[in-house]
Amino acid sequence: MISVNAGNITKGMYLIFKGKPHFVTKADFMSPGKGAAVMRVKYKSVDTGAAIEFTYKTNEQVEVADIEKREMEFSYRDGAEMVFMNPKNYDQVSVPFTLVEDKIGFFLGNIKCWVMFFDGLAIGVALPSSVTLKVIESPNEVAGNRINAPKKTVKLETGMEVQVPIFIKKGEKVTIDTETKEYLGRVK
Amino acid sequence: MNISQSIEIREKVIDAIRSFFKKQGFREVFTPILVPVPSIEPNLEVFETQLRTSKGLKRRAFMIMSPEFSIKKLLVAGVGNCFEITKCFRNEEEVSRLHSPEFTMLEWYRVGANYLDVMKDFENLFLKIVGKNKMTYQGKAYDLSLPWPRISVAEAFQKFAHKDVLKVKDEDFYKIFFNEIEPQLARSKKPFFVYDYPISQASLSRPKKEDPRFAERFEVFLAGIELGNCFSELIDWREQKRRFEEEKALRHAQHKTDYPIDEDLIKALKSGLPEVSGIAVGVDRLIMLAANAPEISDTIVLPAQEIFKI
Repeated sequence: MISVNAGNITKGMYLIFKGKPHFVTKADFMSPGKGAAVMRVKYKSVDTGAAIEFTYKTNEQVEVADIEKREMEFSYRDGAEMVFMNPKNYDQVSVPFTLVEDKIGFFLGNIKCWVMFFDGLAIGVALPSSVTLKVIESPNEVAGNRINAPKKTVKLETGMEVQVPIFIKKGEKVTIDTETKEYLGRVK
Repeated sequence: MNISQSIEIREKVIDAIRSFFKKQGFREVFTPILVPVPSIEPNLEVFETQLRTSKGLKRRAFMIMSPEFSIKKLLVAGVGNCFEITKCFRNEEEVSRLHSPEFTMLEWYRVGANYLDVMKDFENLFLKIVGKNKMTYQGKAYDLSLPWPRISVAEAFQKFAHKDVLKVKDEDFYKIFFNEIEPQLARSKKPFFVYDYPISQASLSRPKKEDPRFAERFEVFLAGIELGNCFSELIDWREQKRRFEEEKALRHAQHKTDYPIDEDLIKALKSGLPEVSGIAVGVDRLIMLAANAPEISDTIVLPAQEIFKI
């Protein structure tokens, strides 16, 4: 059994909670006024998509779910299902939309990703660390939100809105971090 | 939130705090941030540096984790009701939604008062900051109308976790609290006070006269966030010294930076701390709530994550 110290739990992990695999959507370290620090974890059940919060002591061991990753390509969305295909043997598999909805802005047709399997069942998708997408709407006005790096909000071809430097124009392609949704660079 | 909004909301909250206390005749005090002996906190790590004079004198020096020890020396000197808004520092913590290595702390001390009086202070201060008795935070509505619920730790553990808190290990306390108790108390949509902690978690608070297994201490919570930690202050210097030694040993066992106990504070307590109750409140968290911001770093100009690239 592989386990992780609760103090090292991070967003994106698959852990066993009450005997079932869960996806970590948030992990907040918290040190109360007096007393030992705790890790407050927000889970998403891979069965039901339900959000569950649980607090661990930071020195507790938590079991890591034994996940198998297969490289596949995104095909299309069919209502509540996201359909992926293995380009080598054309095998198809669907993943419930609720398990990937926070990453929906990265799924452009044929994007390569890793479908995660637990006990033979597809329970989630891992994206490459960055994805390149085209800007389809870009305002001209500028509102700085940081002292030394003013940014503006643009819309990408998938409908996702992201913050980019003010020099980015409509029609250009930008590389976005799939974890933080931060702008990484412009592709010429 | 953009930078000018974040500057403005911080300014407003701090102005509201100052005027709240000054109108009641509290003195605003400014105690050292760089000290030779920081407070003894068994679970917290300190920032250590070195003081060097041009003549080559060297001293160990620490950034404060709380201004409490210095303010207590002022209370012994007779400063009376007072408050301080100061920067505090904690090392080796996760930089996270509610934690920054450098943060702003508010402490106030009401002389002749006990912790129940400070609960009222907190309610009134919070209402003054928010400006109305309803608020929305991250999509959830909260009812701030007074009074806020108050429940003893023993009652809360019994009622919601079916456990005798005196039999709960200190290290399990907050795990049980956040899994089994806090979600139940949060259902009222009101902030709430949890009071009378087991004496093993008393730190600088005095034991209850009616039941010395518990200490006169409370914490106040809103939206799952701890906003303040208050004590009826311990005035018995012998008991204080004993607890300092115990906590110093605990620090040592946890491989935290070792430093001596504050003998000046013990000396001051010997000459007599008045009956007083004090509270420590994370100002960044108040601002975060007032601004409806998801993280404290949204309310801090040039937050640690950004400048240290964490």
